[in-house]
Amino acid sequence: MNGVLGIAGYVLREAASRKFILAFLLGVTGVLVTLSLSLKIEVVDGALAASRLFGEVMDINIRAVDVALKPVFMAAAGIVFYGGILFGIVSCSDFATSLLSPGRIEHLLALPLRRWHILAGTFLGVMSLALLGSLYGSVGLVLIFGVKTGYWTMGPVISAMLACVSFAAVYSVMLTTATIIRSAALCAALGGITLVAGIIAGFRTKIAPFIEEGVSRELFKGVTLVLPRLSSLAKAGMDLAASTPLGVQSLTMLLAGVFVFGLGVLALGFWWFEGRDY
Amino acid sequence: MRQRRRGLWLVFAVVLFGLAAWLMLSGQGEEEAPPPPKVAFPNRMRPAERERMEKRRTYVAPVVDAGTVAQQQPIRPSDPILAALPRGKGKTAVVIEANAIRHSPIGEMLLECLMNREGAELERFKKETGVDPFQDLDRMVLTDDGVILSGNFGDDRLKNLLTSRGSTNYDYGDSARLFEPPVPQQRPDGSTRRGGPQVGLWNNQMLVFGRSADGVKEVIDRVEGRGPDEPPVISESSTYGEMYGVLSSEQLKKLFPKEQQELAARLAEVAENVELHVDASSDFAMTAQVKGPDAAKVTDLGKSLGGALSLARMQAQAEGKTEMAQLLDFAKVRPDGDEFKLELAVPLEVIKQQLAFCREQQSAQNEKPQEASPTP
Amino acid sequence: MPAIEVIGLRKTYRRAFRSGHEALRGVDLSVPEGSAFGLIGPNGAGKTTFIKSILGIVQPTEGTVRVLGGSPEDPRIRARIGYLPERLHLPGSWLAPVFLGTVAGLKGLKPDKAANLRLLERVGLADALGRRIGGYSKGMRQRLGLAAAMLGSPDLLILDEPTDGIDPMGRVEVRRILQEEVQRGTTLFLNSHLLAETERLCDRVAILGNGKVLREGRLEDLARSGARWVVRFAPGVDAGALGAAGFTAAGTEGQYHVEAADVAGLNAALDKARATGALLMELKRDGQDLESVLASAMGVAA
Repeated sequence: MNGVLGIAGYVLREAASRKFILAFLLGVTGVLVTLSLSLKIEVVDGALAASRLFGEVMDINIRAVDVALKPVFMAAAGIVFYGGILFGIVSCSDFATSLLSPGRIEHLLALPLRRWHILAGTFLGVMSLALLGSLYGSVGLVLIFGVKTGYWTMGPVISAMLACVSFAAVYSVMLTTATIIRSAALCAALGGITLVAGIIAGFRTKIAPFIEEGVSRELFKGVTLVLPRLSSLAKAGMDLAASTPLGVQSLTMLLAGVFVFGLGVLALGFWWFEGRDY
Repeated sequence: MRQRRRGLWLVFAVVLFGLAAWLMLSGQGEEEAPPPPKVAFPNRMRPAERERMEKRRTYVAPVVDAGTVAQQQPIRPSDPILAALPRGKGKTAVVIEANAIRHSPIGEMLLECLMNREGAELERFKKETGVDPFQDLDRMVLTDDGVILSGNFGDDRLKNLLTSRGSTNYDYGDSARLFEPPVPQQRPDGSTRRGGPQVGLWNNQMLVFGRSADGVKEVIDRVEGRGPDEPPVISESSTYGEMYGVLSSEQLKKLFPKEQQELAARLAEVAENVELHVDASSDFAMTAQVKGPDAAKVTDLGKSLGGALSLARMQAQAEGKTEMAQLLDFAKVRPDGDEFKLELAVPLEVIKQQLAFCREQQSAQNEKPQEASPTP
Repeated sequence: MPAIEVIGLRKTYRRAFRSGHEALRGVDLSVPEGSAFGLIGPNGAGKTTFIKSILGIVQPTEGTVRVLGGSPEDPRIRARIGYLPERLHLPGSWLAPVFLGTVAGLKGLKPDKAANLRLLERVGLADALGRRIGGYSKGMRQRLGLAAAMLGSPDLLILDEPTDGIDPMGRVEVRRILQEEVQRGTTLFLNSHLLAETERLCDRVAILGNGKVLREGRLEDLARSGARWVVRFAPGVDAGALGAAGFTAAGTEGQYHVEAADVAGLNAALDKARATGALLMELKRDGQDLESVLASAMGVAA
């Protein structure tokens, strides 16, 4: 386990030294600071009386703060979910390929580590990065709106955590791809395909009736049965952020299912990686 | 050794995929979740309401002065009920579209409840007056001076009933008949026996109940085109919703509970009047448009109202009154210069829950005789 | 117990839609503990595949590999090995002490900044501690790689081209460090294309060609080319008489070669030469350098 943590630390340190990760953190900070400085919110007895962004009136309706902020938090959760996963796909696509590059992987494989430690450590490192990034953004958002409106909610933070679990499923596919073909572009492409497939899988019950009945529909249902329901999680995240009732039967089971899917793909990656020569 | 461990990973992966599929299937469910409740607030006239408005336009012959024919404006057909409404500022008139409400989901529920509880009384009323409130009543208007009903009131039994009260009755205007109750009499115990309201029947389609004969006559005059030149308090373009009207600030003040009197006083001070619209076609959604001469004061009042609603919602949440909190979820104030619109809603599901007791009572009553009946 | 013991090692790289490539074709090799062992051979001989096989990076198709008495797949065994790959990829934005600390952590060593700094000092990077690795020269990177390999004082050092890119003075320095390690008891397994380097450092050598060990043994044994001696006589010798006595001219004036199976045979031949009036000035064994040994081994293989 120390090996896994060691590799995770290695990945985090590598990430910390990358300019675009720092740029991302600066970007998020910039957005939060700009938002906090430019957003003027007037609250009367818990009702959002007026909100202005850069001096422009945003929402003319006066209503309870939490109700008024629902669309804001929903939109923020949606952006954090899909935007975060997309950013993760692009920014983390070369972590694994870099670690598996000639001259580095031989060195790592010669160290007293089990092979799966290297993959699991990379996964853990990237996920820690995703977790920290999303926590930073979502807690910042909650703080800004909390201080300005007096309405405190953990919704956006929980929503960001859901996004992390979804990214875990996407990144496990990227990591496994990297063990097969060491190409950052291909990893990113497969990550993107997983995201799209995950969105489709979330709407499988809605899409299935549009597919011709018979083999095609059953095939669609069969394939999407295993795929992570990312759009369902995104919707649940948005609902949670807005404190509205959930549309899924059991978020815990859905969440666990998406995470277990990620672990399954990771196990597939371990299987392949164990048999590879470098 | 390594190959065996490798094989284990593959087996592990397959097991995990199976578990993931089961978890996701159970978590998401095969059935689509119902969409979140949405409430449509009455903010403008819908096509069906426009059609209804146009159908109600009836040509009303104005009082024509022989010498001024040339100066007369082209006469527009007008809705008699709208024509009957009071004119000028500071007046109250609320129109209830009884027919529309009756055919709305809420109306059906209320009707069911009412029939269960007061069915026998209603039957008696129908027999005595020849008026079936569920069939013959179209609209009901509440004003400061009384009540106006529109619909089908042509049955002789109603006229006989009105006449049999011992009142004097006489024709008034072109098509109206007035029924005046007897003069109040002193009872032996000192109390006064009231003679009931002044009633006017116009064209067998409008019943006017008033405090005074003059009040009723004024209504008839307005319907027959002899009223003042001012427009009625509710314009034709405002006849949307199942209930609509204008409340004077004084009347509004009376509607507020004691603990909200401060807000009521402010409302009375700032607002000239309040225009109400209620939509009961699916959910119970209400908009109240508050207008006042001072834009700043109106805006401040809007904020205060928004705050009060928000506080009430928080209180409901804190006290675990989830239904109330849910109702107030839809509440908002929409300021717009010298006016603001307050939106409040009661989703149909909540009303169903509220009326559940009525059904329970009925089913309990239905069960009782069965239990009591001896078994052979 | 040998530090490395390889028996019948075969490795065939399988490729999709193409015929496989046989990199090792039955290698048998034993590296004694505490020795400095050099692996030499031309490009494509299978040297890197062999090194990767003994580290468990490449899985043998056939044969057994035992390192330090165990399987290289056992992390506990690999913990006792220090490895410097041929083209070590280092994180350019890191500082050397951070990199070394991270590798030490991955090796399961306790954090010891002072020891790491001493190691960096030892490989000659004391002046570059504050610089990012990305700004290092090739030689400096090799030194850092060497320091990483030496972390935790491993029992076996496997170095693939350790002096590649290091300047001549640096090579002397690296050689000194490696000699110190060998003296300490570490087994050194060296793969270097610089034969002089191998010659100076290693006491045993194996020549790999076409995926097989062509020759293996102590360097002096390999370098010794039988019973040939170089003799130099004073000017004015009778070439014909010397030829009759078994001496062949070597090209340079007064220099001759003579074959003698043993010391007695050599002295008998010298007596014959002296009997012709020739005066002996210099006598030495006619030995081969490693280059010649490799060339002759590859010639045999061809």
